[in-house]
Amino acid sequence: MKRFIYIPTLIVLLIACDDQIEADLTEIDPIIVIDAWLDDTGNGQRISVRRSQQYFDSSPLTGIEDAIVTITDDDGNTYPFTHTGQGEYLMVTGADMFAEVDRVYNLRVETSEGTFFSQTAMNRVPEIDSISFRFEEEQAPFLPDSYFAEVWARDPDGAGDTYYIKTWKNGDFLDEPGEISIAYDAGFSAGGNVDGLIFIQPIRDSVNPFDEDRSENAEYDFLAPYLFGDSIYVEVHSISNEAFFFFQRVQVESGRTGGFAELFSTPLANVPTNIIAEDENIPVLGFFNVAAVSTMGRTLVDESDVREVPE
Amino acid sequence: MLKFIRASLIIAAIVFGKTASAQENFTISGYIKDASNGETLIGATVYVQEIDGGVVSNVYGFYSITLPAGNYNVEYRYIGFENQQATIDLTQNVRRDIELGESSELLEEVVVTAEKEDANVSEIEMSTVELDIKTIQKIPAFLGEIDVVKSLQLLPGVSTVGEGASGFNVRGGSVGQNLVLLDEAPVYNSSHLLGFFSVFNPDAVKDVKLYKGGIPARYGGRISSILDIRMKEGNSKEYEVNGGISTIFSRLAIEGPIVKEKASFIVAARRSYADILAQAFTDVLEDGAALNFYDLTLKTNYNINEKNRIFLSGYLGRDVFRFDERQGFSWGNRTTTFRWNHLYTDRLFSNLTVFYSDYDYDLSFGENDRDKFDWESRIRTYNVKPEFTYFLNTNNEITFGGDILLYRFKPADAVGVSDGESTDISLDEKKALESSLYIGNQQTLTPEISMQYGLRFSNYTYLGDATVYNFNDTIPGSRRTVVSSREADNFENIESYRNLEPRFSIKYQFEPTTSLKGSYNFTSQYIHLISNTTASNPLDVWTPSTNNIKPQTGQQVALGIFKNFGGNKFETSVEVYYRWTRNQLDYIDGADLLINEFIEGDVLSGDGRAYGVEFYAKKVTGRFNGWVSYTLGRTELQVPGINNGEWYPTRFDQLHNLKIAGFFDINERWSASSNFTYISGTPTTFPNSRFEVQGYVIPYIAGDVRNNLRVPDYHRLDFSVIREGRKIKKNGKKRKVQDQLVFTLYNAYARRNPFSIYFRQSDAERTVGDPIETQARQVSIIGTFFPSIGYNFQF
Repeated sequence: MKRFIYIPTLIVLLIACDDQIEADLTEIDPIIVIDAWLDDTGNGQRISVRRSQQYFDSSPLTGIEDAIVTITDDDGNTYPFTHTGQGEYLMVTGADMFAEVDRVYNLRVETSEGTFFSQTAMNRVPEIDSISFRFEEEQAPFLPDSYFAEVWARDPDGAGDTYYIKTWKNGDFLDEPGEISIAYDAGFSAGGNVDGLIFIQPIRDSVNPFDEDRSENAEYDFLAPYLFGDSIYVEVHSISNEAFFFFQRVQVESGRTGGFAELFSTPLANVPTNIIAEDENIPVLGFFNVAAVSTMGRTLVDESDVREVPE
Repeated sequence: MLKFIRASLIIAAIVFGKTASAQENFTISGYIKDASNGETLIGATVYVQEIDGGVVSNVYGFYSITLPAGNYNVEYRYIGFENQQATIDLTQNVRRDIELGESSELLEEVVVTAEKEDANVSEIEMSTVELDIKTIQKIPAFLGEIDVVKSLQLLPGVSTVGEGASGFNVRGGSVGQNLVLLDEAPVYNSSHLLGFFSVFNPDAVKDVKLYKGGIPARYGGRISSILDIRMKEGNSKEYEVNGGISTIFSRLAIEGPIVKEKASFIVAARRSYADILAQAFTDVLEDGAALNFYDLTLKTNYNINEKNRIFLSGYLGRDVFRFDERQGFSWGNRTTTFRWNHLYTDRLFSNLTVFYSDYDYDLSFGENDRDKFDWESRIRTYNVKPEFTYFLNTNNEITFGGDILLYRFKPADAVGVSDGESTDISLDEKKALESSLYIGNQQTLTPEISMQYGLRFSNYTYLGDATVYNFNDTIPGSRRTVVSSREADNFENIESYRNLEPRFSIKYQFEPTTSLKGSYNFTSQYIHLISNTTASNPLDVWTPSTNNIKPQTGQQVALGIFKNFGGNKFETSVEVYYRWTRNQLDYIDGADLLINEFIEGDVLSGDGRAYGVEFYAKKVTGRFNGWVSYTLGRTELQVPGINNGEWYPTRFDQLHNLKIAGFFDINERWSASSNFTYISGTPTTFPNSRFEVQGYVIPYIAGDVRNNLRVPDYHRLDFSVIREGRKIKKNGKKRKVQDQLVFTLYNAYARRNPFSIYFRQSDAERTVGDPIETQARQVSIIGTFFPSIGYNFQF
């Protein structure tokens, strides 16, 4: 996949310019945003209720502090949340018991401006079999000698499983929109028909960061994804199909790369939400998902951790 | 079908009704050719003094004129060539093949169009654009690469979404609504290197004609325009070699007689050579890596006898990008055309075309056999097309014929392998049959008024075998899901559509230098280019109309006034057009258009409208010549589910589009040309606010609008200077080789013309927990000036 870096370099000959500009945007009233991604890890389950900002405003987010946030399930359980500051709400009790596969969960957020609902079911997630490392020779002038990590897991039989794969390198979450990794069964999309397989290679490889080398006199454009001494930690979250499409849209709308790729960009459009307002005249944004999570971590210590690439 | 027959009868009645009083008539017919190389001349005039009128040679150079017995002074004319007079005593049918010699004035006068001098006013055609290859060669081109399609964009009503974008837009139509014909065979992707260069080798092109409106009945299948490109037949008198080298391509064309005056051939090839140069400097292109594009054009013809001539032509073009032996992509067109010109009588000319056209691309990833992905996609077209022209009399020229096309779409032949396990993710082939019948007449009512009218009946069938899906009802803007499906048998008729397409044009030449023209046409399109990106890309798929995707239809009216000044030195025209279309495609947000079995569920359908006015003024002759073209236009779509169902401008909507082209002959050896382009900013969508989910900053557009704002205007100035090599050696002998050097400067004042504006998180380094900055960015595809040098030769 990384060899695709070559395309722009080879094609161009041409210099596509990409400059920051000033743009006049119409301001609108802030909109309530509910960010509710829960999981079965037993760790603190948080939901945030905040407001949107003007596009160029990067000041801290304004929270809604007087909301009543509750989760109920189809087994009659209720999980109340309490405000902990800046619009963030924490599950008070039962977090250790929370979340079972195939259970349906309901979200209810009551604010002074309106009440909002959502519903989702928690889906299954496969265990991570292993994390492996392989060596790749330098690819001047792009990459130095590097180690690439691969995460191995097999999608269970039955089409329609969707996953969100989160990676931390040395404890730092790979948080760029371009680093969002999602899978539909073992592949990229519903049309891929790759049910029941081991994650396909680009997904196994999606746990590698490609950070520009910003140091002065950098010899290569990018830093090696992993070197001896680096650690990797991966979580595979089961997500609903709606959440998969949500992330697919976020990849496009937040992860625009610009430059030459603009030739083949799609029109800017809003990402979907699964939050519904009781009064449909009140706009609301955000997403609700409950995930089953499997995890694995590994440190690349030395040569003995490196697996040969099968020929 | 009944309607069609009835309409044909009415036309026949109009035409034949007038000939009842005819006395004994005879026919003068033949071919008009260029004396220097035997190439037939398209659109040469045969003028008969006694009737103050005449005919024009057709695309095969054939003419036929039927007159009462008598004595006639006939003049054969073609701009840039010496006129030829003939006195014909018409007492029987006369065959007169004519060869015209190039005018000696040619050195001083640059030929801007190869046409009758006042054709602009006197011909019935409107809304057409013609460029001859000599003009195209003078236009300053990006990197010095002469380009047929880019040159057309200097003329009114023709535009593009931006630099680097493939294809072209005509009067507000999309790229996939143009039918590009190369010697009658459709070319599905007319671009090399994404969209920087077009696939037609200028050394092999003889004639280029674009129909923007007033499309005659003989053409059909696309709703926006027809680009009819004719290849050279090859010099039938002597061998000739043309070639050149410029920044991107090296070119070579060889043509010559096989049997003198009877049969000739042309072979023309181009290849990019950047990869060959690059190998000297970098090892990136080792291990099977490749980056090149090439095209090969072949054509041969044989004059069997006075009544029969056959042509065989082929085209092969391909772009190849490989990162190593296993990975990369490539795409290309292949066409083969066989044609047979036959004269049943002196007055009934026929052409039978049989062609095969194949467009395919492949894409492969994976560094080893345990993990890989291979994908191939193709569309094949088989066609038989008989055409007839009956030269009834001086006032009527009837054309009729038919067309049968079989399409085979194979959107995906694909296999994915993950850790040694493979899955076939191929999609089934889709088949469709498109057939049509047409009849048309070009009729001169009075010396001032002439009309062209016709009817085309098209019939389309979506054929099995296929899985036929039924989707749920449309919820505007949402993906539709399958509610039921069934298997259709091989060649089962799954869904049929038919359209009756009237075409009409009229010319009223109320004074010798001025005419008014009007036209109406109805067109239909049964296959669709599926593309939701700003510029169409080589991986875009074509898909047939199905039970879920309806054919597109379009109607256009155009009115124009055409006036020439100063003895046809200046040509001017103003045309207004209004075009309305049905079943236009757009896509749901996040549409999955590649390898998607349920692609029909991601396609939306709506209406389109486009209107505008085109101004054109051209100085045809003189040392200084050129033109000014200005289009004021709008093109909009209304699709349920997009922009709240309100009209929105398409991505290539350009209110103002100004082009100026100037050519100046400094002396016998030096000439200069320049062009200037000014285009209003194209529409784009700006967000209003941002919000965060899971730490990602996401843009939000209030009211779900589309294309609510515009990027800044585009303007650019280009120059080129051509230095001809010496024609005569120092010892006074003629030099065998004629050559020229072409210096080009593209984007002279290095403006960073905007292609698009987009919004994103800042990529500045940031520690976890810091706020995320967002920014607006502007992209220029060619953000600086580009000088280049090219060398062309001929011997």
